[in-house]
Amino acid sequence: MDIGFSSEEMRFREECRDWLHTNAPADKRPLDAADAIDFDKAWQRRLFDAGWAGINWPTEYGGRGLSIVQQVIWLEEYAKAHAPWIGANFVGINHGGPTLIINASEQQKSYHLPRILRGEAIWCQGFSEPGAGSDLAGIKTRGRIDGDELVITGSKIWTSFAHVADWQELVLRTEEGSQRHRGLSWVICDMHAPGITVRPIRKMSGMVEFAEVFYDDVRIPLSNVVGGLSNGWKVAMSTLSFERGTGFIADQVKQSQEIEELIAAARANGMIGDDRIADQLAQMRAEVAAVRAMTYRNISEVVRTGQPGPEASVIRLFTSELGQRLERMAVLLKGADILDFRYGDDDAVGEYLRGFAATIAGGSAQIQRDIIGERLLGLPKSR
Amino acid sequence: MDLTPNDEQIALQTATADWCRDNMRLDGARSRAPTLWPQLDAMGWVGMTAPGMGLDHATEALVFAELGRFLAPVALLSGAVAARWAPGGGKIALALPADHAVRVLDSDGATLALGLFGDALRRFAIDGTASPTPSLDQSATIARIAVPDAVEAIGDPRAALHLQLLAAAFGVGCADAARDMAAEYAKMREQFERPIGWFQAIKHMCADMAVRSAVARSQLYYAACALDAGGGDAAFHVAAAKRLADQAALDNGRANIQIHGGIGMTDEAYPHFCLKRAHLLQFIAPADGAALLAA
Repeated sequence: MDIGFSSEEMRFREECRDWLHTNAPADKRPLDAADAIDFDKAWQRRLFDAGWAGINWPTEYGGRGLSIVQQVIWLEEYAKAHAPWIGANFVGINHGGPTLIINASEQQKSYHLPRILRGEAIWCQGFSEPGAGSDLAGIKTRGRIDGDELVITGSKIWTSFAHVADWQELVLRTEEGSQRHRGLSWVICDMHAPGITVRPIRKMSGMVEFAEVFYDDVRIPLSNVVGGLSNGWKVAMSTLSFERGTGFIADQVKQSQEIEELIAAARANGMIGDDRIADQLAQMRAEVAAVRAMTYRNISEVVRTGQPGPEASVIRLFTSELGQRLERMAVLLKGADILDFRYGDDDAVGEYLRGFAATIAGGSAQIQRDIIGERLLGLPKSR
Repeated sequence: MDLTPNDEQIALQTATADWCRDNMRLDGARSRAPTLWPQLDAMGWVGMTAPGMGLDHATEALVFAELGRFLAPVALLSGAVAARWAPGGGKIALALPADHAVRVLDSDGATLALGLFGDALRRFAIDGTASPTPSLDQSATIARIAVPDAVEAIGDPRAALHLQLLAAAFGVGCADAARDMAAEYAKMREQFERPIGWFQAIKHMCADMAVRSAVARSQLYYAACALDAGGGDAAFHVAAAKRLADQAALDNGRANIQIHGGIGMTDEAYPHFCLKRAHLLQFIAPADGAALLAA
């Protein structure tokens, strides 16, 4: 076991650092949604032009095809350089694109993948429904086959970037009367098609970051089905095989920056003199270090065996809860100043309020604990 | 960068666990036979850390986590550190500072004791007058002796980190033992006509035990590698490993008793062995807040 990097890897780190130092935008990502989308597209285009788009995508589809350790290095340097979050390109680059790479026809791939990489096409996700959250197999949105088209009715919810997206990875029921995981299909839905209504949802932070999407007889060509009709569950899950445990790198670096800022802030305002606060800061500094250790361990497992260990769910749960503890501490250190918060402020209070998403979105903390209990410890399945 | 054990290290881990299962079972931790120490010595667990053995801290940490899983005698910690930094002198008891006195653990058959006093690692002779009795952790005996007149300081700062690292490894093993005991019981014990591990109230407690174990073990590996690499950040990483291992051992120890219910709080069952060991480990080279907050 060792924690060092080879000289070749160190050279690659230099290359990443140099490029990011010269090219990462100095301005913060704008808060206004319309400005943010232009910003996101421009940044993605700059990444693409320099060959840094889709770092984990195979080179045959225009990606960079980095090794897993190189991905770790790139993501660490990316976060250290405070390079912007990829924002509206998140779903296309990290989820929609990889799903297409694994499951789509050559025609579908050749149309969509370059547009995603260049930041020209924004994607959103259409999985959750008002009645299908943690229990995703309860999907009710349906597509009736009419000639060579699907006619879609229903609704999706918690859809990030729905108001700016061009395309949606939509999972819906295409087999009348089918139950649970069967009879679902994964389709590329044109978000500009007639019959789609987007209702933005404001979060308790005041920000509009997701929406509810309604489908009223929306017509989508059958040729937009990916991976075959009634194969949607398998297609949706296939993306997991693209996930190699590098998703936590950016969070870890961000958290290590945050804990140092919190310690400095507590020293500056004297609150470090409170033993309970000092102890919590010491504890979180140890925990942030442990997240890196866990991530490295998980990635080493991938390098050794080709598969991430079952402990990825442990990292997800621990990191999300640690992030919330850090956000709570930031608010605590501000004292009564938090009362001056105004809707939309992008400060510690805004982060604290937005941070509740970490243990809810993409698999709640309770579901993660079920997974850990059942898959890691072999306890009987409750569901 | 690689934080997984290689084949050779896995073989050593497995061999250690196998030997422990046959010769030093956790359920025997109520009182260890006097013959155990000579057996451990003969197997090489006592002197394996000697400089000539060429074992790195990463491999040691793996082996000590296995020994810790079976609640091995804590004199292995003082013995291992002495073997590396101040060899010779037979069995070495583990010393803990006390008010105007010193506590020595596992002093039976030992003529020397070693422990951390403030930041300094010290070794001193113990005469035969100490009368050891069982401690809170019944696997370890305890004796309270006067502060010795003559102590030998072990100057190398890495020696204190070595003790902290190995104690953290014992904590990781102890936390794992409690987690596995709880999960096994949750699969076997039935109430309301199903295993109690089916219920999320129990399942989620077990999941939290698994999280604490994974966090502590990962940081242990990283800390061991940092100590091997000899960088300036080793002291922080070892302290972080000790803090997380202590917490995992203690919190898992408590949760294990709760999951076992009525039998869990009895002397007849074994969960209390892990809890009591966790309480003992907390006082061996504890990670203080200053070390964790140091620049």
